[in-house]
Amino acid sequence: MSAYYYFFKMRILTTLAYRFEVFTAVASNAVMLLATVFLWKAAYRGIGSVEEVSQHQMIVYAILSVVMGAVLSVSVQDEMYYRVREGNIATDFIKPVHLLGMFLAEDLGNTVSALVNRAVPLILLSSVLFTPPLPASFAALLLFIPSLMLSFLLLWLMGAIVGMIAFWVLELGNLGIVKDAIVRILSGSMIPIWFFPDWMGTVSAFLPFQYMYQTPLSIYIGVISYSQAGIALVVQAVWIAVLALIAYAVWQRAKRVTLIQGG
Amino acid sequence: MVTAIRYHVSVAYCFARLAVQRQLEYPLFLVSWLLMIPLQYLSGVWVLKLMVEQFQPLAGWSFPELSFLYGLGLLSHGLSVIFFIQTWQIDHMVIRGEFDRMLLRPMNVFFQFVVNYVNFIGIIDLIPGFIIFFYGCARVGFDWTFINTLKLALVVIGGMFIRASICTIMGSAAFWTKRSGSLISLTLATMERTTMYPLSVYPRVIQLALTFLLPIGFISFYPATEFIGQDDGFTLPVGLAIWTPVVGIVTFAAAHLIFKYGLKRYESAGS
Repeated sequence: MSAYYYFFKMRILTTLAYRFEVFTAVASNAVMLLATVFLWKAAYRGIGSVEEVSQHQMIVYAILSVVMGAVLSVSVQDEMYYRVREGNIATDFIKPVHLLGMFLAEDLGNTVSALVNRAVPLILLSSVLFTPPLPASFAALLLFIPSLMLSFLLLWLMGAIVGMIAFWVLELGNLGIVKDAIVRILSGSMIPIWFFPDWMGTVSAFLPFQYMYQTPLSIYIGVISYSQAGIALVVQAVWIAVLALIAYAVWQRAKRVTLIQGG
Repeated sequence: MVTAIRYHVSVAYCFARLAVQRQLEYPLFLVSWLLMIPLQYLSGVWVLKLMVEQFQPLAGWSFPELSFLYGLGLLSHGLSVIFFIQTWQIDHMVIRGEFDRMLLRPMNVFFQFVVNYVNFIGIIDLIPGFIIFFYGCARVGFDWTFINTLKLALVVIGGMFIRASICTIMGSAAFWTKRSGSLISLTLATMERTTMYPLSVYPRVIQLALTFLLPIGFISFYPATEFIGQDDGFTLPVGLAIWTPVVGIVTFAAAHLIFKYGLKRYESAGS
């Protein structure tokens, strides 16, 4: 266990090492935040609420969505792709740790450091410029936290599965970026699914994506009731189990097809 | 004069041919981009459609007008991805000492830097640009007169130069700091978010900053307002669109100066 703790700690230290990078990364997120919030403000100009969601709720949703995007940045798919491409994966297999565990520990490190150096400045900024992104109620906050953790696991497992594709299709390029584009739309991070046409809402309910962003965010702003929130948490957990099984199965096969580049 | 131009063109052509050949080495590599880029931009414009349908025209812009603006921004973006992607990577070139080679050649380093790479793959960025822009043109009833077409070409090329210049200026920070990658991502994120939506959704201060400080407004917003006839309460003599190529030339000259100044600080790579 201490080995994984080491990876976790090292990742926090390395992300903090480049201060200028931290600053510009937050600035990029801030641009995103301003652009999204002003867009929603323009949409809501003179309109009270749409689909029973008020302007205030939508702005809190948008702010939190940007913060979540900044915090839950999982690098497992890029790491995996890079290591397979460069052939580092061969030496990784010799290490006396489980590789997926190592990637998970590193991504947890990323997330914890991002909570401090990304989430805090972004929340402060939006409190000054717009409105403090407060939860609908204390209970909503208590339900939001586990839901957010489950979202992290969902995003991470999805990233790990797509990253493992690199073992088979080296020359197909990084399919992770395609996945990211799909997640951005179908997770409700750009625009909540309830604004989508009905048929897309129906399809989306059977896919794991909306449980990555929209579920925790709608709990937070209080557009779904506590009992619905409870059900949503269970659905999130079920999807995690499904994706974990897939990830495990793919990993078992991936180990066998590892291709080492000659050198 | 003529021989000098012919010489420069032949050098640029050689660089371009090499770059394209290098990229065609791995054709399957294009697949992930071919999936991702159209998906990203088509979904971006689709989000605008949903917002207009569920709410109202954004800051007075209907969906066809928004697609005209979005597409116009995307066209100059696509061109800058094809011809100027190296302006995003000045820090790599500084760290890896790639300017050594250029400094040794008897030719202007900035010119070599500009023509040293043609990113053939950038054509993929143009595909959604064309689709969205021509959809917008058809729906807003864009008048394809000779003058309008000429203006449009000048605007797209001018927009490409503005984008390239801003990236060169930001990237040149690497001559001093050795790192400018994240500054470039910040710049690209800002440009994406400000060229594809009407500037008028932003408060006045931001609009002014994006007009005079960083002339991003000239890439797509001001020309689009003129082409569509949107009234945004901002006028310039001789029309808004024609300012884009002018601003493009001015910013490119500024980028050249800053690049040259930065190059004096270039100290090559340690071995």
